[in-house]
Amino acid sequence: MIVPRRAAGAVRRAGLCTLLATSLGVLGACSGEPRRTGPTNDLLIVGYDREPDTMNRYATHILEDIESCVVEGLVTNDEKMNIIPVLAADLPTLANGGVRLRSDGGMDVTWTLRPGVRWHDGVAHTSADVKFTVDAINKGDWKPESVDGFDRITSVDTPDSLTAVVHYKEVYAPYLLQFVRGTLPRHLLEGKDLNTANEYNRAPLGTGPYRVKEWRTGEYILLEKAPDHWRGAEYPRIKQILFRFVTNTTTRINQLKAGEVDMVALVAWDKVRELREVPGLRLNHVVGNGYEHVTLNQRHFPAFADVRVRQALAHAVDRELIVRTVLDGEVEIVNGPVQPLSAAYEPNVRTYPYDITRANALLTEAGWTRGPDGVRTKGGDRLAFTLITQAGFAIRENVAQTLQQSFAAVGADMQVRLMDGTTISSTWFGGDFDAMLHWWQMGADPELTLFFAGDRAPPAGRNINYVNDAALTELLYRSDRTVDAAARNALLREAQRRIAELAPEIVLYNTAKVDAVPATLKHFTGNPTNAGPFWNVHLWEIGKP
Amino acid sequence: MIRLVLRRLAQAVPLLLVVSAIIFALLHAVPGGPLAAYLENPNVRPEDVARLRAAYGLDRPLLVQYGSWLAAFLRGDWGMSFADGRPVLTRLLERLPATIELAGIAGVVALVLAIGVAIGSAVNRSFDRVASTVAVAGISLPVFWFGLLLQLLLAHRLGWLPSSGRASFGGSGLTDRLAHLALPVLVLAFVQAAAWSRYLRRALREVLARPFIRAARTRGIPERDILLRHALPNALGPFVTVVLLDAAMLVSGAVVTESVFAWPGIGSLFTEALSKRDYPVLMAFLMLGAAAVVLLNLFADVLVAAIDPRLREPA
Repeated sequence: MIVPRRAAGAVRRAGLCTLLATSLGVLGACSGEPRRTGPTNDLLIVGYDREPDTMNRYATHILEDIESCVVEGLVTNDEKMNIIPVLAADLPTLANGGVRLRSDGGMDVTWTLRPGVRWHDGVAHTSADVKFTVDAINKGDWKPESVDGFDRITSVDTPDSLTAVVHYKEVYAPYLLQFVRGTLPRHLLEGKDLNTANEYNRAPLGTGPYRVKEWRTGEYILLEKAPDHWRGAEYPRIKQILFRFVTNTTTRINQLKAGEVDMVALVAWDKVRELREVPGLRLNHVVGNGYEHVTLNQRHFPAFADVRVRQALAHAVDRELIVRTVLDGEVEIVNGPVQPLSAAYEPNVRTYPYDITRANALLTEAGWTRGPDGVRTKGGDRLAFTLITQAGFAIRENVAQTLQQSFAAVGADMQVRLMDGTTISSTWFGGDFDAMLHWWQMGADPELTLFFAGDRAPPAGRNINYVNDAALTELLYRSDRTVDAAARNALLREAQRRIAELAPEIVLYNTAKVDAVPATLKHFTGNPTNAGPFWNVHLWEIGKP
Repeated sequence: MIRLVLRRLAQAVPLLLVVSAIIFALLHAVPGGPLAAYLENPNVRPEDVARLRAAYGLDRPLLVQYGSWLAAFLRGDWGMSFADGRPVLTRLLERLPATIELAGIAGVVALVLAIGVAIGSAVNRSFDRVASTVAVAGISLPVFWFGLLLQLLLAHRLGWLPSSGRASFGGSGLTDRLAHLALPVLVLAFVQAAAWSRYLRRALREVLARPFIRAARTRGIPERDILLRHALPNALGPFVTVVLLDAAMLVSGAVVTESVFAWPGIGSLFTEALSKRDYPVLMAFLMLGAAAVVLLNLFADVLVAAIDPRLREPA
């Protein structure tokens, strides 16, 4: 095709101009963005991994960081996992007479509320709010996330404005955490449908150091200092906290590096290294209240029903190597479901150090002999199973590969199947898997029944190892009926020793929590429980590094 | 023309009904449900999960669930989001402006780029070679990777642009808004322009090789007029259809870009709803997408018929 040079030149110039104009327009726009100078006591910006569904603490699920800045519980968990009073004046126990066991098998818990606490609208916080909360949840027409414990409360008496006596129809050991999510303001919500009370659900009336100033859907929630906070007008120290919703993990880390957000809670362990070099950041470590492990489903893959097979597989895994390489040393190896910070933690349990010889011996003893392809067989069955784990979680994929090699070394053939988060939840709930690499984030209460009692397989619980040991089950139910904390913890310690003997799952490491915060942020401690790192936000202050 | 439009609209109704049944079945065939995430939560007891299943009506047979969804949908009731209990329509409408802003601007930028590059490619070989290489790169780049790369370079390393979001906190000025638009628009427009320019380039070259162009040249019509007044209009007909169909994809296809850049549009709402299996929101979003495709398809037919009388269907 012949095109005259002049015309072609004109067209080319036009095309280039378009390109240039577009790029200049794009670049010209940049000058408007001022670089932030970092966090101040006027504003702290948090890069947050998701947008909450609701700010109603009873209707939300898992993450309550933003909610807990606004709505306070009668108690909370501190960074050492101790239960400490917040809106309660003290903790009711058997010893101080706050808990009374009735002869009919029930119990009464007397909560004394902290005097002088007011809702953000100035109305006093009273025992009537405690009673209203129980009644609202037990009425049955509302859809709170959990009614645990509430379903055992028969009634609440309010002898005076600061005393609430909660009557349980049976002994309920985790009673101290019953009101950890706070109370609902009766004067505001009485007679309203809580499912659709969107004014409250989007900007709840609380007693906490902050209140919701603005919720921009898809973008952010802005909290501002609540006036006349009960701890004193000097609290909180930081005037506003902005929670920006940034769901993409890499984007969140990029924002932190670019200084567009000041802090990010729960940094993935394999991202910690690249954040170490970012100036002005501090990486705060706390031991987590969860543990990564390999669930061995005895019902689905019968070879796991033999304790020797489970113990052999545990001996085959070099956990130190995994932690040092895949996890960059950010977590610590643990040996059971109760984590080191818990008052119920038992350190002296049977452990399964890396020992290939022992692993091989145990498998041979159990009757599994090596076939021509190196995989062990017994009575025509191959020691071959599939491990499911969550896709898109680089650490898990790498750990799964290491496990695959470790098991191959002792003659077990493991395939890995990756699934998305929601699919994997429904798969384990259905019990349709051989083995699973995952973690349990445990509740602040050290209960183990739901995970290990013989009759607590799904749908009645989360015993997806399908371990069924009469002695263990008996111990666990006894612990549930023991209100005295010391006595209960003694039972739970015995249970942990029994669990370690049975090796129902291969315990790998503690799920440490790493938060990236400004180096200048004072009094930030993190928190291992689902109270979350904002549990003491009223104390936070930007000072000198 | 009016009869054509009416007939096509009438055909769209049963089509959308079938689509609704298919997407309902597909969504429910995916394992997991709105309550799956609760299973991991130590605070939610198995009894709670059973209670919530009944409360949301998820324990009813699928056909019954579809029937009640359809009946409500036809009445204009799009239901309540499982996730936050607010009306689905409210949730979609509050996100729509951000998506229209992003997709609209990206679409226009892509169109201008695509036409410019296609014309350049049609008339200049060396420009064509460079443009072709860049376009192939644009077509094959994964959007999320390209987006994150630009973020690292332009936001983190050079600090020229904000990495994500729709505006700075407290920044309401036009420059701030444009700065936030720059990266997502760049990604969306680049990828879209790459595909469109390839299409239009090919169409243009074909037209330029036709006899009537040669005839025009022999008559001494300036090359510029030949290109812009004779070749381009002839090449635009099929291109318009492609662009309009892609426009529907651009609105819903911004899903990845919106997530990467934390853009508060319906695309990021969809990602979120998908991970939570928020069926009412997903159904509404997908039905809107399907309706958009059907309507834009119809619009494209009308437009093409207006541009090119040869393509008009006999009435």
